[in-house]
This record gives sequence, structure tokens and C-alpha cells, in this order.
Amino acid sequence: MAMAFHFHPLVASRVHFSPLPFAAATGAPSPSSSVAIAAHYHHHGRRRFSAIVATATTTEFNFKAYMEERAVAVNRALDAAIPAGGLPAALHDAMRYALLAGGKRVRPALCLAACAVVGGPESWAMPAAAAVEMVHTMSLVHDDLPCMDDDDLRRGKPTCHVVYGEPIAVLAGDALLSLSFHHMASVGSYPPAVDPEKHPARVVRAIGELARCIGSEGLVAGQVVDLEMTGTSQTVPLELLEYIHLHKTAALLEASVVIGAIIGGGTDEQIEALRKYARSIGLLFQVVDDILDVTKSSEELGKTAGKDLASDKTTYPKLLGLAKSREFAEKLVSDATEQLACFDEEKAAPLLHLANYIAHRQN
Amino acid sequence: MNKLASCFLQHGAPHTQIFKSYHVQRSPSLQLLENRSVSMTRHRAADRAARGTIVDVAVDSGTSFDFESYLSAKARAVHDALDLTLQGLRCPEVLSESMRYSVLAGGKRLRPVLAIAACELVGGTAAAAVPVACAVEMIHTASLIHDDMPCMDDDALRRGRPSNHVAFGEPTALLAGDALLALAFEHVARGSAGAGVPADRALRAVVELGSVAGVGGIAAGQVADMASEGAPSGSVSLGALEYIHVHKTARLVEAAAVSGAVVGGGGDGEVERVRRYAHFLGLLGQVVDDVLDVTGTSEQLGKTAGKDVAAGKATYPRLMGLKGARAYMGELLAKAEAELDGLDAARTAPLRHLARFMAHRQH
Repeated sequence: MAMAFHFHPLVASRVHFSPLPFAAATGAPSPSSSVAIAAHYHHHGRRRFSAIVATATTTEFNFKAYMEERAVAVNRALDAAIPAGGLPAALHDAMRYALLAGGKRVRPALCLAACAVVGGPESWAMPAAAAVEMVHTMSLVHDDLPCMDDDDLRRGKPTCHVVYGEPIAVLAGDALLSLSFHHMASVGSYPPAVDPEKHPARVVRAIGELARCIGSEGLVAGQVVDLEMTGTSQTVPLELLEYIHLHKTAALLEASVVIGAIIGGGTDEQIEALRKYARSIGLLFQVVDDILDVTKSSEELGKTAGKDLASDKTTYPKLLGLAKSREFAEKLVSDATEQLACFDEEKAAPLLHLANYIAHRQN
Repeated sequence: MNKLASCFLQHGAPHTQIFKSYHVQRSPSLQLLENRSVSMTRHRAADRAARGTIVDVAVDSGTSFDFESYLSAKARAVHDALDLTLQGLRCPEVLSESMRYSVLAGGKRLRPVLAIAACELVGGTAAAAVPVACAVEMIHTASLIHDDMPCMDDDALRRGRPSNHVAFGEPTALLAGDALLALAFEHVARGSAGAGVPADRALRAVVELGSVAGVGGIAAGQVADMASEGAPSGSVSLGALEYIHVHKTARLVEAAAVSGAVVGGGGDGEVERVRRYAHFLGLLGQVVDDVLDVTGTSEQLGKTAGKDVAAGKATYPRLMGLKGARAYMGELLAKAEAELDGLDAARTAPLRHLARFMAHRQH
């Protein structure tokens, strides 16, 4: 489903989201920053913005610490899921190499935050959080192969196929995908306190969601279209660019949030609100990526400019212009934030900050 | 190349040859089915003596159960279910074509039929088993697509047709395999729920299939297989050969049967007997493959006979001698059938016939 976005002068004038950093995101909160934030949002008289301020100032939510804690917990879970020393050694080593290569663990964090916002304990969603990171890693391992993106480096390290060879990389990707479902479906993956009556059906539903977002109606579909358009010299139309991004990136982000909410015991209404939130931030991720490509040097981004895929050659700034792209990004943040209005403010804080983090990151 | 799969997926083979060495007398299938139905009904109502009499007749005569009709009817049902599932996908056309090309390429569907037979053995319905039956076939197909790729086995042909990567290109083949793997798990989750299978059973089936598709099965077997190909001729031990075949082939046969028994509501004891039966059946299939490669004609096999010997690959006849391999076949068949002893004779009939069919096939 492609999102149609039509510019209207009034929309631009109504949405003035200043990229002021949240106090929490920069570490220790300072009185002047808090005051500045409060002053800024009060000027617009928007209830939800007041809520954001209230959250930031009354609970001093520390986003940086939040992300670091979740990453540590997720890394521990991933390390345990593929024990060192398993056989065959080459396969286990390759899986661990790819999976434990670092990364911000944004998808797992979204999964855990979604579980919490609907009232579930985060521990209920940890197997699903690990699963989405396995899937994400699998897609990168296969994407990096010579017949696909043909990348030798990722996050500054040699890619899986460079270290272990193409055959092992193909198999490691397959094994990671299978493991994600195995891990989510295993009774032993979950804490004893899950609701014994409702939990199995929730996990079945979550597995259906995750699988759908990976396959021919999700991530893989985006990759196929991206590759299909590679050979053409023509510019990709906006609808197709959005199709690629909604499938290649947003689908797994959506799954991360949705399965967290399902396993946390969310209502259908809550799950759908979170799905919409996830789609907005998924698209936001790519719009910001494209903006950064224009405004930052290759060195700062940690990757090489001039890549080959359709989604690299056609960008939002190229289609819409830089100013309109920025407006679109602001619109997406606003849309995402709006979907969280029905949730408890304190519980929603991580998701609000994640949306803003995605919008204002520098790499 | 997976010889067991090759034989399993033989398409359009003349029926007279299939059953030439297997003494099955044809009967009108409709009348036979009616008779079986009446027989089973009477079985439930009759006293022990009468039940014993009917059961003995059904098994010993060899004419009450029409295996050929059973196999073709179940295979057709699975094919139709796969076709329907793939038709329902909303995805890029080239991806859909690629998936359908390999999944709907024909074949006897022995693994899916095994899943259904195991489900019925423990008292479940065929409808409950169809989702896992389809999933097994998708996982199998995904592994073949990836196995054929240039960086793996590099096979340009499969069953006399161009391999998926030859027909559609390496990138699409890689992604089609990934999509089929994801779809398998989606189908177990959503399909089982749709068929009224309790969630906890569906999850156990996911665990079983998730293990076999990855480090506990196919991927591990493929890694070991590649490692053995580089080994000096004659250095692969019987233990190593068994490891490769158990993981690459037999584990999926086992998972098919176990998943069927699980969704059918089998107790732990029943499931474990089914597992052992399928383990022996899976190995039996591989030993038969190796023997046929030595003794069969190219015409019967649908490929060049003696290819494995010429390639210097480790095979059972090579390690055990032809006589020893044949003796092992007999041993495995006996062990498989022994697992069915003491169970309802009418329900075990499909599995007994399947084991004998496997042992006596000519290609």
C-alpha cells in the first residue's frame, strides 16, 4: 500500500516541528533546555505536545540509557539463543558473527516498548524482540551477497560472505530465519508468568504477523522490486519508491511493534494504532536517510555514496526537493505521535522518543 | 543434488513402472473407500473378536487398502492447497512466478502425504494436517532452490527443467527461497488457526519445522555435505555419511511426520513412535537412492545413472558394499514397520504401505 501525500500550504504552516533535541536524548537534563522545550511547545497550545513536555520534565525520561539497557538485554538474549560452540561450527560461527556484530537494536527496542505500552511486562516480548533482530540480520546477510548488493563491509566490518564464504552466508541466513520462528514458538523461551490460557494464541498470531512482514508481501517483495528497477535508467515514481520503502524497511519495523503489542496482550484497537505508528516511523526512517545522504558526507554516514539500487538512485529530495522532504518528515512524526494519544503518557514515552530519534538522528 | 528429493519429485512417471515391484492389486477406489468407511464404523461398534477379524482382513489381504489411490488423492489435495496459497499472495509478479515455478513443479508429495497420514494415525483429520503438509513442501522447495545456486551445488537442471536461478536469475531465486521459508511458517500459524488446530499444537509444529529448516536439520546437513565434498576420496566415514543424510534429508521426513502427529493431537508416546518410524523411513529413502544409482538405468532414474559413483561421492554401496546396503535397507524397513506394531491396523495402513513403497521403488 503506497501512501499518497499531497502538499497543501496550510499543512506546512500548521506543522512547525522544531528539531530541538529532547533534554533526555542529550544526557543529563538541564533547566534551560527544559524551559526552552516547554516554551516552544506551549506556544502552539497542542495538548499532546504538552503531554510530551510533561513526560520529559516530570519523569526525566533518559532515552539514551533506555536504548543502552535494551541493547544489552537483547544482546544477552541473542547470545544465549545461539550458544558458542554449537555444531556445525562454521554455521554457528557465521550466525553469531552476523547477529552479534553490534547495532542499535532499534527493532527489538520497538518490540519491547510496544509490549510495555499495552501493559505487558517487557520480558514477555523478549523472544519476539530477539526474533525480529534475527530476521533483520538475515536480510542483511543475504542483501550483502555478490548476486545482490555485493557489499564487502557493513558497520565497518567485513560482511558475512567475505569472512565465511557465500555458501555459508546463504545457509546462515536461512538458519537465522528458521531460528527466529523456532525461538518465538518455543515454550522455554518465555518467562513462567505469561498468561497460560491466552499466550499460545498470541504467539501464533505474532508468528503469522512476523512471517507475513518478511515474505512475498513484505521485506522480500521490497527487495525484489528494488532489484527489478536497478537496471533501468528511468527515475522511480514516488508511489514505487514508497512501495519499496514500505516493504523493505517499514514492514519489519511494523512487525516489531505489532508483535510486541500482540504478545503484551493489547486490544485490536491498540494493535492497529501501533501498526499505524510503525508505518509512519518506517517511512520516516527512509525519508531521513535520504535527507542525510544529501546533507552529510560519506564519511559521516559510515557508508559509501553512489550505491546501485533503485532506492538509492531515486530519493525523496530528488522527487520532492529538500524542503518538501523535510516537511514530509515532520508530517510523519506528527502522524506517528498522534497514534500514541490513546496510551498512557509515561508508558508511551519510549515510543515517542524513538520516533524523534529516528527523525533527528545524524547517521 | 538431493537424490531423495529427485525421486520423490519425479513427475509423470508411468504407473506400471512405479508399482511393478510392489504387489498392489487395483480396486475401484470409490467402492473401496466406502468399504473402508463402513469397515471403520463397524469396527468402532463391534466386539473385540469381530474387530480383530475385520482388521486382519484389511491388513493381510493387501486388497482392502488402495495405496495408489490414497497417494494420488492426497498428493492432489496438497498440490491444490499449495496452488491456492500461492495464488492468494499479493506480491511482485516475478516473485510469484519464481515461487510457483518450483513449488508447483509436480512430484509425488511424499513428505506432505506422510504428514497427513501421521495426523490421521493419531486420530486427527486431513484438514488439520494440510497447513503443515504444505509448509513441509515449501521448506523443502526453498532448500532445493538455494541448494542449486552457483555458490552451492551449482545445478543448472532439476528434474529436467532449468533450475530456479537459471530461469529467474540468482537474486530472485535467493529471495524466492527466503519468501517460501517465511511463507511456510506463516502458513502453519494462520492455516492451523483456520483449521481449528489448538494454538499450543501449532506452536509445537513451528518448533519442529524451525529446527529442521536450520541448524538442527537441512542447513547443518548442507554444511556437512559441502565439507565432505572437499575431503579426499574414501575418507568420509559411515558415521559422517549418516550425519549428512540424517540432517539434509531424513530430518525433514521426520519433521513432516511429527508435525502431522502433533497437530492431530497425538500423545507424547505416539509422537515419539511416529518420529522413530519417520527417522528410519528417511534413511531408508536415502539408502535406496544410493543403491538405485548403482543398479538402476538412466531411463528408470530420470537422470544419468552412476553419476554419484563417477563423482567419487561417498555412498552406502561404496562404504558397505551393495549386498550390505541392501541388507541395511531391509533392516530399516523392518525397524520402521515395528514402530507401527500394536496400533490400529486401519490407521497404520497408509504408513505401512508408504514404507514398503519407499523400499521397493525403482526410481
